[in-house]
Amino acid sequence: MSEPLDGLRFQVLWSRLISVADEIATTLVKTAFSLIVRDNHDYACALYDSRGVMLAQSTQCTPGQAGSTPSVMRDMLNVYPPETLNDGDVLICNDPWIGAGHAPDVFIATPIFHKGVLAGFACTCAHHVDMGGRLGATDARDVYEEGVIIPVSKLIVEGEQNDELFRLITRNVRTPEKVMGDLRAQISANHVGAEGIRRMMDEFDLTTLTDLSNAVSERSEQALRSAIATLPNGTVSHEVLHEITDDDGQRLKLALRLELIDGTVKLDFTGTSPQVAKPINAVLNITRAYCVFPFIATLCPDLPMNAGAFRPIEIDVPEGTVLNPTYPAPGMYRSLLSYFTVEVIMGALQKLAPEKVMAPSGTYPLWIQKFAGTRDDGREFVTHFNAQGGQGAFHDRDGVTAVVFPGNIASTSVELFEYETPMLVRKRALTPDSGGPGRHRGGLGQETVLETRAPMPIRTALSGGRFHHPASGMEGGSQGSKGEIRINDGAPFPHSDRADLVTGDRVTLRQPGGGGFGPASERDPASVDADLREGYITAAAATSDYAVAVDTVTGRVDMDATRALRAAK
Amino acid sequence: MSLRLGCDVGGTFTDFLLHDTDTGEITTLKVPTTPAAPEEGVMEGLATLSQQKPGLMSDLTALIHGTTLVINAILERKGAETALIATEGFPDILETRREIRYDIYDIRQEFPAPLVPRRRRREVTERILADGSVETPLDEQQVLSVLRDLIDDGVTSVAVCLIHAYANPAHEQAIARLVREHNLPLDVSLSSDVLPEIQEFERTATTAINAYVRPKVNVYLGRMEEGLARDGYARPLFLMQSGGGVIAAPAARAAPVRLAESGPVGGALAARTLAETAGYRDAVAFDMGGTTAKTCLIADGEMPVTRAYEVDRVHRFKKGSGTPIAVPTVDLIEIGAGGGSFASVDAFGLIRIGPESAAADPGPACYGRGGMRATVTDANVLLGYLNPADFLAGAMQLDVKAAEEAIARDVGTPMGLTPLEAAAAIIEVVNENMAQAARMYVTERGGDLEKAAMVAFGGGGPLHAHQVARKLGVREILIPEAAGVFSALGFLAAAPAYEVARSRPMRLEDVTPELLNETFAPLAAEADAIVSQAAPGAAIIHKRIAEMRYVGQGHQLRVPLDALDRASIAKAFAETYSAAYGYSYDDLEPEIVTLRLSAVADQPTAPVTGDTAVTDGGETTREAWDPTTGQMATHRVLPFSAVSDVITGPALLSQPGAMVLIGKGARAERKAGGWLALTLEDNT
Repeated sequence: MSEPLDGLRFQVLWSRLISVADEIATTLVKTAFSLIVRDNHDYACALYDSRGVMLAQSTQCTPGQAGSTPSVMRDMLNVYPPETLNDGDVLICNDPWIGAGHAPDVFIATPIFHKGVLAGFACTCAHHVDMGGRLGATDARDVYEEGVIIPVSKLIVEGEQNDELFRLITRNVRTPEKVMGDLRAQISANHVGAEGIRRMMDEFDLTTLTDLSNAVSERSEQALRSAIATLPNGTVSHEVLHEITDDDGQRLKLALRLELIDGTVKLDFTGTSPQVAKPINAVLNITRAYCVFPFIATLCPDLPMNAGAFRPIEIDVPEGTVLNPTYPAPGMYRSLLSYFTVEVIMGALQKLAPEKVMAPSGTYPLWIQKFAGTRDDGREFVTHFNAQGGQGAFHDRDGVTAVVFPGNIASTSVELFEYETPMLVRKRALTPDSGGPGRHRGGLGQETVLETRAPMPIRTALSGGRFHHPASGMEGGSQGSKGEIRINDGAPFPHSDRADLVTGDRVTLRQPGGGGFGPASERDPASVDADLREGYITAAAATSDYAVAVDTVTGRVDMDATRALRAAK
Repeated sequence: MSLRLGCDVGGTFTDFLLHDTDTGEITTLKVPTTPAAPEEGVMEGLATLSQQKPGLMSDLTALIHGTTLVINAILERKGAETALIATEGFPDILETRREIRYDIYDIRQEFPAPLVPRRRRREVTERILADGSVETPLDEQQVLSVLRDLIDDGVTSVAVCLIHAYANPAHEQAIARLVREHNLPLDVSLSSDVLPEIQEFERTATTAINAYVRPKVNVYLGRMEEGLARDGYARPLFLMQSGGGVIAAPAARAAPVRLAESGPVGGALAARTLAETAGYRDAVAFDMGGTTAKTCLIADGEMPVTRAYEVDRVHRFKKGSGTPIAVPTVDLIEIGAGGGSFASVDAFGLIRIGPESAAADPGPACYGRGGMRATVTDANVLLGYLNPADFLAGAMQLDVKAAEEAIARDVGTPMGLTPLEAAAAIIEVVNENMAQAARMYVTERGGDLEKAAMVAFGGGGPLHAHQVARKLGVREILIPEAAGVFSALGFLAAAPAYEVARSRPMRLEDVTPELLNETFAPLAAEADAIVSQAAPGAAIIHKRIAEMRYVGQGHQLRVPLDALDRASIAKAFAETYSAAYGYSYDDLEPEIVTLRLSAVADQPTAPVTGDTAVTDGGETTREAWDPTTGQMATHRVLPFSAVSDVITGPALLSQPGAMVLIGKGARAERKAGGWLALTLEDNT
């Protein structure tokens, strides 16, 4: 084949690799029991060469798990070097420090043999319904409370299942048939991936994936470096104080020194708070995920992910901190903290390239409410209610209202929730004035009111955030609204907590709004008028926050009076 | 004599296809669409046809119509001034959506603007519970005052979507009654009529779309019915629905939201008919046009129907970036790979095709109308597949030099390829893209490509089919006689049919046949009334379907119910679940969420293959690209209709508006009915 057409051959091979990774994901979603996999896409699928270097990752995956994909295979190979692997073997591991930071995320890796030679690996990570440990351990003090840890092991040995390991897992988890079903789904999905790779190697007459692996990684690395190089060089620092406190009651600090040099990003987290005895510590793999995510998401969302895509971003996180905790720090609810890694990076990046970033978001952290109890008909129920706040604004547009970010789970249907539980949703509506005022407004938060009608008490775990410190604005923009959880007319919750509800109790949830971008006095009066007309802001806020004159008769912005008012300032 | 006419109003052209079921004769006509008043283009086309066939309008036994009116009204935001009435506490269902993001990595993603602005989303005091009981009665005085406010604000159409209205429509119906009793100038769409199904976002979005388009569709169909009556047409005007059945105009005017995807469905229906004629129960419909390619998998003779359909996407090819229309819709995928799709080299040094495309005007570079960017069509011209002197039956002369320059600039130079190599690479990439998308779609639906034939149509389908089929491992391709107007042909193959549904969530252990019949009986009456309008006197076949899941799951599966006892339902669900996901669970409890009933008129549809006489040769040759050798090779060139029995590749067969490529090693055989069966070479 002529030289130039090799470029075409490479292109077809690369798109085939991504297509095979996506086929693994499709098979996993189709065969997994876990709703978390099927509805929330809480999984990641990847392909590797024989050295454990990542070739491709599924297009759909959860950003958190994606951060462990570049290193997980090499960590597994440290335990089982290539010469100890045989056709028909399958490896398993859910060690939070090798994997994705908490026990429910289980990695299954299958060596791919082609014509008797180890060619590479197919690997899936899926969030399982249960991995043992204390249920809903929002106050766990170490990792032992959070489930059984399976070190890197062979789950299947040359096609024969490892019965001891199967028995051990079965005995340690709730609903073992579902957990086993999901493990089998992961094994079949890997199998589909292995078949796809073998078919590709036959069709294109390949004996190894190494050259292809080097080539795809180089392209992704170069593309990301070129994108980073469009940002100005420089070194800046930024800090975010989280409202969760350390063991001494001090607010947790995320400290960052960000350096951009010619297409390389260096992130140094020296000064970040030491790890705590609360289940919010985020292992290095998770931190890496949310360090890479903001750059891909702002600079090149279409970048094919492989080992090369992670190289331009060098991270240095001191051991023993909340962003790189050591064993046995608990981390089940790491997302309460790790989403703020995105905020601290955006805050630093803003000082170099404000047009690229999003203001602090009302969507950090995730809000999830759990309810359990007995229905009128005597049936038990356990269910979730999800609703989120508003995104931060950008330099050129408003933040999105009521959306999930950077994770990705759908909100709960009011009608399905009421069918499943003895509860009534009294309200689910956007909160006027909750979006941080700015030249561009933060996305709106919302208010939900849930009322219990069951004769029996209902147990709840109510979790959210921004209770004390709302999402701040950027470049002169103002803060969004605070989050709030309260029961009836009681005091607002100081932090996420559990509670028991009796008939007639009302739970009010106020998801926070996003921060604004730029001074609110610079907002186009026509946009203020539109916000006022649609009820996204009130007349009082228009006057006090946006420096506009509101006509008391029409209730609309008086354009002439506003010009005069703003000119006088 | 029985004359049936299919009429497909597209964005650029209105296609007509007249079929004489006695003689098998097929007459086609293309006229420009008149976007401001599409009925004018239709009437004009009918007048032209009537000149060719005097007495046509009174002889016509059926006129079946598909239209882009609904979809265009949504995309262009040219619907009615619309308001939404919601239960107190829930004004923002349209805007909070499902909160999920459709692209994990795109931080700046946007969502379609809600069809009804917030100031026109009004709350009324009332509350119905999940079991249908009334917790708070409707405040009728408040309703009247809200409606009058809206009229003062210029609103002409109102969507009413109250919480749990699928379980008890009383409050929604009371609002419609108030509008009638007080003679308020408002068109009213009730969610309990449009989509009586659980899940408030999907129901509200679908009802809002119905309200938004209905006044416009009402006017359009009204004028059309008048015009047809004036011209002597005495039968009902039939409309193609997104779900694949036809209904008479009055039913379509009540629920225009069901017409959104009427065009593409025609192609899939025609593909099924042709595949059945050829003895296949499984088929991949492959439709490649100017801006997109569409694929649809027909398994075991059944049209795939989904309710997870969406319109108004921010990114046309990104699932989740639009607004749901949860009415039954034939499940097809669309990818940005049409003749007009742009070819370029991206930041990774890779050839990228689409998703942007050159519209009809200026079109590809070779049209010579000022289009500068390289397209798939330009590559096909350069490779010799399209004859520059005989494009669109000679209607247009193509500029080969312009095509070559565009390809050299956009792809050749950046990639270090000659223009010819670059053109071959563009075609290879677009074929690979289409094959990968089709493979993923089939994997998601658990289909089996080895049993299937490909039916290739649209302007570009028959030209690309050979290579796409080879990549998919499909062994036989069926190519119809009028590949360019195949969708209109599909309208003629559609039976009068209507699907209705009602959510009635219940655990399997609570199910009794009586309980199910209680829901199915009124559904059957409703569907039968609509099918009878379209097929008076015909026997009607019912299909009963339950949407089921395990308790707590987020997605339902469509489970066909042959018997209504608990054991049969459990068995049917387990079988459907296994087919979809590989296994089912004994220890988990299934539940029914929604019951559906589909009524289909049991009347034979005439075979829709024509059989144009074999014409005389006019055979020539042309040099065209042979991908197996990577060189130009001599191809036989002749009209499609000149193939009398068997022809082997390499050859190019021309149709008005389409070109068929028979690659080297393949053989095509003409079948009774005028279509070709193309068998791929072995060992590829």
